[in-house]
Amino acid sequence: MIVTVLLIVHGLLAVVLLGAVTHQALAMANRPAAGGKKSFFNRFASVNAPAYVNPIIFFFVLTAIGGGLIYPQYRVDVRPVLEDLQMRSANGIFEIKEHFAAIGLGLLPAYWFYWQAPLAPEFTAVRRYLTWILAFLVWWNFLTGHVLNNIRGLLA
Amino acid sequence: MSRANPSFKVFSVLFGIVYIACFYYDWGLFKYYPITREFSYVRLPPSSGPAILWYGWLAAAAVLSAAVALAVPRKIADRMWDGLLWVVPTALLIGTLIYEKRWFL
Repeated sequence: MIVTVLLIVHGLLAVVLLGAVTHQALAMANRPAAGGKKSFFNRFASVNAPAYVNPIIFFFVLTAIGGGLIYPQYRVDVRPVLEDLQMRSANGIFEIKEHFAAIGLGLLPAYWFYWQAPLAPEFTAVRRYLTWILAFLVWWNFLTGHVLNNIRGLLA
Repeated sequence: MSRANPSFKVFSVLFGIVYIACFYYDWGLFKYYPITREFSYVRLPPSSGPAILWYGWLAAAAVLSAAVALAVPRKIADRMWDGLLWVVPTALLIGTLIYEKRWFL
């Protein structure tokens, strides 16, 4: 029961993280709308990007901790079943997910460093790429996490 | 630019490299056996059940990267090419995907 609750909390934290990092990633790609008319995309990306830094770090770490806490259940109960069912690709997806989470965790100190105020214009590119890499990792892990979580239904 | 310590940059560049090296060579600081709830520096017999290696790889990467980042003088850390911060993780992500394709063959 507790693991189910943790799994749901892990998923909810991931949703918050996904929203925050997507806002920031699109803000880094945003071009001002021509003629003053703003599309949905422009509005979605028109956020105060630096304000998202600490929440992204907080929710990334919290989500990773949540994943770490439910990992034993996966290792003991889920993985052997996937191995018995010859579902190698499902285990492969999980392996990639754990590596990407680790690489993302390692990037957070530099991400925080480059987003410190005052924002230096010469580091706009590295801020943008770090944000996009984190966004890619979060999206990848979110989608693969959901595929894994729902795999019995998806492949029934 | 920032008043923050540039050691953060060194840490982030190293962490991914050390983590992937730990994974590839199985150099975790420890292993965790969830069935017996034991942490162990060495591989335990099969009766202890499956081990989780990920915690040990993360711990090894964190400790080693932090030690090197703190040891590198601030001047050198300041002069580090900032492009490394996205080139290295991008290379690691691509390398990971290529290596892990073994699960899908």
